[in-house]
Amino acid sequence: MAGQGMSPGKIVGLAWRDLKGGLGGFTVFVACVALGVSVISGVGALTDALGAGFRAQGQILLGGDITLTRSHQAARGHELGWLRKQGAVSTSAALRGMGRLGDGSNQVMVEIKAVDTAYPLYGALEVEGSKDFGDLIQENGAAVVDPILIERLGVKLGDTIKIGNSNIKLAGIIKREPDRLGGRFIFGPRVLFSHQTFDATGLNKPGSLIRWTYQVKLNEEQAGDDDVAGFEDHLEKGLPEAGFSLRDRRNPTPAIKRAIDRFSQFLTLVGLTALLVGGVGIANAVTTFVEKKRKTIATFKSLGAGSRFVFMVFLLEVLMVTGLGVVIGLIVGALLPIGLNAMFGGQFPVAIELGVSIKSLMTGAAYGFLVSLVFILWPLGAARNVNATVLFRDEVGADKTWPGWDAVGATVLSIFALAGFAILTAQSVRLAVYFVIGSMILFAVFFALGIFASWLAGALPKPSKPELKLALANLAGPGALTRSVVVSLGSGLTLLVAVALVDHSIVRDLEASVPKKAPSYFILDIDKSDIGSLEKTVLRVAPGVIFSQAPMLRGRIVKIDGKSPDDMKIPSRSKWVLSGDRGLTYSDSVPEGSKVVAGKWWAKDYDGEPLVSFEAEIARDFGLKVGDSVTVNVLGRDITAKIANLRELEWESLAINFVMTFSPNTLRGAPHNLLATIKLADAQDLKLEARLVQNLVSAFPGVTAIRVRDAIDAFAKIFTKVMTAIRAAGLITLFAGALVLAGALATAQRRRIYQSVVLKTLGATRLRIIAVHFWEYFLLASITALLAVILGTIGAYIVVTKIIDVEFSFAISAVFGALALSSLLVILFGTIGTWRVLNVRAMPYLRTE
Amino acid sequence: MTSPIISLKNVSLTLESKAGPVEILSGTDLSVSGGQAVGIVGPSGSGKTTMLMVIAGLEPVSSGQVDVVGAEFSSLGEDELARIRGEHIGIVFQSFHLVPTMTALENVALPLEFSGVNGAREIARGCLDDVGLSHRMGHFPAELSGGEQQRVAIARAIAPGPKLLLADEPTGNLDVSTGAQIIDLMFELRARNGLSLVLVTHDEGLAEKCDRVIHMQDGRIVKDQNLLIEAVS
Repeated sequence: MAGQGMSPGKIVGLAWRDLKGGLGGFTVFVACVALGVSVISGVGALTDALGAGFRAQGQILLGGDITLTRSHQAARGHELGWLRKQGAVSTSAALRGMGRLGDGSNQVMVEIKAVDTAYPLYGALEVEGSKDFGDLIQENGAAVVDPILIERLGVKLGDTIKIGNSNIKLAGIIKREPDRLGGRFIFGPRVLFSHQTFDATGLNKPGSLIRWTYQVKLNEEQAGDDDVAGFEDHLEKGLPEAGFSLRDRRNPTPAIKRAIDRFSQFLTLVGLTALLVGGVGIANAVTTFVEKKRKTIATFKSLGAGSRFVFMVFLLEVLMVTGLGVVIGLIVGALLPIGLNAMFGGQFPVAIELGVSIKSLMTGAAYGFLVSLVFILWPLGAARNVNATVLFRDEVGADKTWPGWDAVGATVLSIFALAGFAILTAQSVRLAVYFVIGSMILFAVFFALGIFASWLAGALPKPSKPELKLALANLAGPGALTRSVVVSLGSGLTLLVAVALVDHSIVRDLEASVPKKAPSYFILDIDKSDIGSLEKTVLRVAPGVIFSQAPMLRGRIVKIDGKSPDDMKIPSRSKWVLSGDRGLTYSDSVPEGSKVVAGKWWAKDYDGEPLVSFEAEIARDFGLKVGDSVTVNVLGRDITAKIANLRELEWESLAINFVMTFSPNTLRGAPHNLLATIKLADAQDLKLEARLVQNLVSAFPGVTAIRVRDAIDAFAKIFTKVMTAIRAAGLITLFAGALVLAGALATAQRRRIYQSVVLKTLGATRLRIIAVHFWEYFLLASITALLAVILGTIGAYIVVTKIIDVEFSFAISAVFGALALSSLLVILFGTIGTWRVLNVRAMPYLRTE
Repeated sequence: MTSPIISLKNVSLTLESKAGPVEILSGTDLSVSGGQAVGIVGPSGSGKTTMLMVIAGLEPVSSGQVDVVGAEFSSLGEDELARIRGEHIGIVFQSFHLVPTMTALENVALPLEFSGVNGAREIARGCLDDVGLSHRMGHFPAELSGGEQQRVAIARAIAPGPKLLLADEPTGNLDVSTGAQIIDLMFELRARNGLSLVLVTHDEGLAEKCDRVIHMQDGRIVKDQNLLIEAVS
């Protein structure tokens, strides 16, 4: 057949010539592809730039090539000797304490850090006034502090505050602490002084919750990347059983990196969702394109072209348009990190290293083409069936035709390729698989609901109002917007409703439920000899409080049933237990709020081999059962204990909960302090609360009081920020939906104009035509919002009750928010169209060509 | 003498095109008295359909005076013109122009509902019965044949009880036999309801069924034949 034998070059040439005629109907197509691709490539480029920033500043953020940390126990002589052989070492000690005014009238929890003269090995600690911080803290009893401390205590530079048993002079204000990000999360103001000053406070005593950190600048000959990578084995050989947690310059802030990676993956999936939502617009645009090209296709066929040739020419044309969208998306994506850096660079955790991120550009391009293929093959397959007889008869509307098994097969293959690509390039395969399955279900559900909504509009009893009748008929009839809008706008709205309800439920839980159950204060570092008098003080000042106490040490799990945790596959939800030190306790009875679910609790006077009670859910993730063993390093010594029983805990009560509770004989001999909780009878009595803390801190200067409400507020603040970011990301999906909506309305515009002209001939006034459009848009927006609210609520309910495990609470504001957004978008775009409809001349639409 | 139902005085219509202004109607005068049937014939582009649209109030003129069913169009706004069409003018098109998302009955009832007529559906049923489609009332346009669609369009045009029926090539999309049936139906209904009729057609034979035939060329009336007088003489 002629045409079948045309060379690929000629097909490309023909496609290019045909495309040069104009891209008029492809604006939304290009915008949809460009939006998704720009988000994916932009997020990738920004993540890479941040990653490069972390790597470039790894030594400064970490304070060394290597850092080792351990709680309670400073490095012993031989350990320090071994470390010094590896390079220059800086020793620091960090703990929480109370900074208070001399007269005891005000106090604040502070993050203490004691450093030596070698600190910092990399970078510089800057203080205000261009002074040398080393000189400032050299003076005994002098400290440099965060400005927030000055503000909170209402003091000024040069004043003295009390920490522990010492008077501390505020000698300088910290402008920049180079390794702050590399340390643990801090939520009080920093107080930094020398070890000599630290010793004078009396806080450095056995059992105190001190975190000892050794930053090492490796000797030049052993500072290569391979040496850094192999340092763990080197340490294991040099200092077995030391129990240090190790980090190196390659990943100085694992928690931040993890958070950035997760957020990056989330945003990539949001970009992919935007692309998929935009896919509806892509499919609509191709269907319209095919409709417009019916006569061209028929002409090709009448001149002897075969179906395959027609398919190839139009596939190439559409792929060229995709290419344009991809290129625009990649340009915007590549510029995104530069723009964000210019606007928000100061808020990034590190200075980013800008560069061309080939990987993220390729990823964005691949997603753009794959999503496009998923949505274009079906309508293009159907285009092949246009018959040459189209040229000889004037048709009123064209029936959709079956695209053929090969086009269906190619569409299915594209879906698999897209799903496979999303899964293979994901950092979390599980999340990507969930996403793929979830988005397939969501699309299928929305598609079915779109059909149902369209059917319902047709099946409802006809109202007597002609405007409403016409609006319903428009929603039900051929070429109705219902399906396109429900699928495209609905998915974005569902995401926003779900996020709003998850946010509402968690914030409500944090603000209402948790404080009811949680204690008011945690008191840390209570000397064993002080516990009795401390309890008496508490009960004297605030009678009726609930006071609980438990011994507390910190230790690190080094072996799980004889195996190194590094060699085990642990689900990510439980990895936190293995990252650094955990609190440990011992008890002769089942702790309050715990329930033994396997095994038995030990006898009160038990004195046999070390036993431990393990939290049941984490034990399951670690593959542990009663009778297995756990080895923890406490104070630089390994202790192996047999699991006697498993407990279930109510974590959200914020009571004294420990993953591991040992039999008393295991830990009683180790130097340690106690932890206590105080639950005030009336959480609103702030005066009593202030008096209680003043009394406690004055009488027991070594203890630290952490107000739970402040910690919850700090968490809620971070949580709200994260949810705001997620909402902003969700808006991208909604924006894609809005693009599709605009495209669908533009496609329907000719039909709408035609209808309004016909109605005018029948005597309809402009107000009536506006009313028809208003009802159609209002019903469309309401249906979409209603479906989004239903599906979003189901999604949020599952997330809140099954995954996050808090009480679900519904917010009517989410319903109104969805309805308002939906109405705003539909009516906004619709009104633009209606305005044009009202102002067209009737004649061109009424006369037959 | 009764006042004419249509009176065009020195009507001109010029439209802008890419190639410059195009004069569609130039200095046209026409007077049609009540109850008269007028056929308009002429080659493509002669201005037949445009003149029909001007009479329907769907195309504003550049100059001249248009009086139809007792209203002077130039002083009326778009909505007043729509109301006049809804109550007094029925239009039948070559391409039927039914609302595709509504059934035959709903299509016919629509102009009555726009005019706020009580019992619109009952009247519409009667009109569909008049055009022989009482068995197809619940069908959508796509489910009807071309002839049936045009019958629905005629029923819709006569449903509000107009004084004037305008038809633009009503048989243009139909086969010869169906076309003949439609014309017979239209003339029968016109006679039964005492309507004035303006019929645009290419078919001179069809035009000759009217009382009067107007020949147009280049936007002007070039010949005005009164067939009744010719027949009598």
